[in-house]
Amino acid sequence: MPTILVTTRDGQELSLEADNGLSLMEVIRDGGADELLALCGGCCSCATCHVKVEPAFLAKLPPMSEDESDLLDSSDHRDETSRLSCQITIDDGLAGLRVAIAPED
Amino acid sequence: MESAVRIQEFDDPNYDPFNSDEINFGDHADPYPLIARWRAEAPVIEGGYRPLMGLPAALYPDRKMFTVVGSSEVNEVLTDTDRFSNAGYKFNLGVTFGQGSISTMDNPEHGRWRRIFQKIFLPQYVKKWGETIVDPVVHGLMDKFLPLGHADLIEQFTLRYPFEVIYHQLALPEEDVHTFQRLALGQTDYVNHEKAIEAGRKLGDYFTALVEERRRDPGEDLVSLLALTEVDGEYLPHEVLISFLRQLMNAAGDTTYRGTSILLTALLEHPDQMEAIRADRGLIPQAIEEALRWDGPVAVQMRMAAVDTELAGVAIPAGSLLDVVAGAANRDPEIYADPDRFDIFRDRKPHFAFSRGPHICVGQHLARVEMTRALHAALDHLPGLRFDPDKAPPQIQGSMMRVPRHLYVRFGD
Repeated sequence: MPTILVTTRDGQELSLEADNGLSLMEVIRDGGADELLALCGGCCSCATCHVKVEPAFLAKLPPMSEDESDLLDSSDHRDETSRLSCQITIDDGLAGLRVAIAPED
Repeated sequence: MESAVRIQEFDDPNYDPFNSDEINFGDHADPYPLIARWRAEAPVIEGGYRPLMGLPAALYPDRKMFTVVGSSEVNEVLTDTDRFSNAGYKFNLGVTFGQGSISTMDNPEHGRWRRIFQKIFLPQYVKKWGETIVDPVVHGLMDKFLPLGHADLIEQFTLRYPFEVIYHQLALPEEDVHTFQRLALGQTDYVNHEKAIEAGRKLGDYFTALVEERRRDPGEDLVSLLALTEVDGEYLPHEVLISFLRQLMNAAGDTTYRGTSILLTALLEHPDQMEAIRADRGLIPQAIEEALRWDGPVAVQMRMAAVDTELAGVAIPAGSLLDVVAGAANRDPEIYADPDRFDIFRDRKPHFAFSRGPHICVGQHLARVEMTRALHAALDHLPGLRFDPDKAPPQIQGSMMRVPRHLYVRFGD
């Protein structure tokens, strides 16, 4: 059960125990960060679970689909560390993963 | 080139689809007190929303029905797709729009086609339509009544502009527009469902011919784009493509007409908030979101229980239908303080007007662009906009789909 570190929009640091197989979005929501809206429920149909990933972890993440990239393009806050957290599945390789919830669009 | 595409009128020339609104979607001035009473009783109540509201049956199959009014239960039903399916729409939307409508499907099938439509309607793309299509349509309509100093903003503006936007997107021949709009509205006359089915069939024939024509001679329009879209080397399935085109008028036209009408009505009823927007156009996005929360155009969505399950302690047998009341969640006092008050300055919390879950409105970004352009145009061109003191004030009505019938205004003097 890896530990994930999440920075909320007001700068609060959450340390969350993550079950393997859940999506990062579910871990953040279950950890109490309601500001991560994830309005579509996690099927890559909106861009409201946008996070910024600590660069050292980017290469460990599953590759980004064209659909995810298109959705991220709709955000004014996209940069090279942007991902949709519903598209990242937790496994032991992500222990210590550090992400920040992106600003609201 | 003479177009070979022919549009067919209803067999009964006296049928008026414009009169289908009240019987299908209700004429309740204010359903919210009743909804609040239900919510106070329980988050999930037995019985369908239509019969509970006193509306006639409308192409629903004979199943056990429940109405969901608790906001966390609304969210649960809309996002837990293992337990709650969209297949219930096969009995009504599927019959008229076609069983290729993605509203009738569940994932993964739904996602396979949705991603194609979703991409076309992403904010970065629809923003361009704001300038190229929406603004010219909006200004063209307003120019017609500007010199008069008075108007019915429903009849002369909101009831027209989202549909004209679609006609431009589809590049429909001008002479087809009148019949096209009658058929498109008739498609949701579920209480007179033989008319809805006739409309769906005739629109299907029309779009089938239009798609063939645009494949031969494509333009820059949405029909051409979709007709030529390929997935794994093949065109979209015919039924998916035609169903989407049929549904577009209802999903993009009817909802935006209602949403814009409610936005303008609410702001005119609250002149202080209208003045605040005049002073700072940056308030427009929050005004739009508040109008959608306060009185969103689509009050109810339907889901079907995929398995025997339980919701808020209520046993829901597999196959039951659930009327999920977005309009109840949007007025939950636990989420929105003093929820019946229209207040563009309230704390921003996400609303349920575009639904939640995998079926969250594909067209939501276009709707926002259209409402934004409409409000800018009203502020730019209709100085001193106010209710017409000689006419009845607007009355938002409906229990399924909401809108005022008239919005009489004066301006300019």
